Amino acid sequence: MTNKKEDTDVKLIKHIQEGLPLTKTPYKDIGQALGMPEEEVIQRLKKLLEAGKIRRLAASIAHRKIGINANAMCVWKVPKERVDEVGKIMSGFEEVTHCYERPIYPDWEYNVFTMIHGYTDDECEAVIQAIKEKTGLNDYVILYSEKEFKKVGVRI
Amino acid sequence: MILTETDRKILHRLQSNIPLLSRPFLELGKELDIDEDTIIERIKFMVEKGYIRRLAPIINTQAMGREATLAAVKVPEERIDEVSAIINEYSGVSHNYLRKGKNKHIPYNVWFTMSAKDDEELHCRLKEIETRTGLTVRTLPTAKKFKIGVRFKIY
Repeated sequence: MTNKKEDTDVKLIKHIQEGLPLTKTPYKDIGQALGMPEEEVIQRLKKLLEAGKIRRLAASIAHRKIGINANAMCVWKVPKERVDEVGKIMSGFEEVTHCYERPIYPDWEYNVFTMIHGYTDDECEAVIQAIKEKTGLNDYVILYSEKEFKKVGVRI
Repeated sequence: MILTETDRKILHRLQSNIPLLSRPFLELGKELDIDEDTIIERIKFMVEKGYIRRLAPIINTQAMGREATLAAVKVPEERIDEVSAIINEYSGVSHNYLRKGKNKHIPYNVWFTMSAKDDEELHCRLKEIETRTGLTVRTLPTAKKFKIGVRFKIY
């Protein structure tokens, strides 16, 4: 940690990363626990969100539990010059939750990764079909998760 | 499924930022036309029953100065449990899955994400996994992000 402000932010995040108090005045209660006024808690969270250090202050949902059981990682072989165009098209699908470009290796030639979440495998595959039609891409692999060894939110 | 229509409405809304105001659940209640006490009570219920993992900041590891990567390993069938258990020991590992190609065979079958406080620590840990398992860990860090925002359609 480089300065005192950052220390306080880290302390704040560490205090709430397992969950906000589920009370009428959560920010006031966090402040009381950390010896900080409610307004400071709110302002610090606002700045962390604006700076993008916190993506969202929101619920992480156990998607399998609400019936979103299918989780397909679909990897695509995309010509370098088409990556930006294709990345935008793929991101436009609501079911595509993540879309990244990643490096290739001699034994790994798929450079664009999409995570697709759906209620069923069929729903995921319909999205893949639609992506194929919209982009004209044909070289891809659908990787389904066979087993979940670990899935936790990122903590600091 | 024991979620009510109200629960689904709340769950859907909670995937976006909750208000940074003194009484956030009162504000949410106004948006959704549900009273504050009910909102809090239903969120507690959904946390207890495990529908909501947590209502908390979703951290951008990189912006917080941390380094992260996706990694893939070709693990022989009979060593899958052993190797995945070794990977799981590391606290920076947030996801770890066994994956199988549906339309094509892919030799990489164990996929995990790891974050660490910096590049050095990250690579030191990945190296350690390689030493302990005797297997090569293929790193696939993000070159470009097009989308990250896990919000689900709640029917």
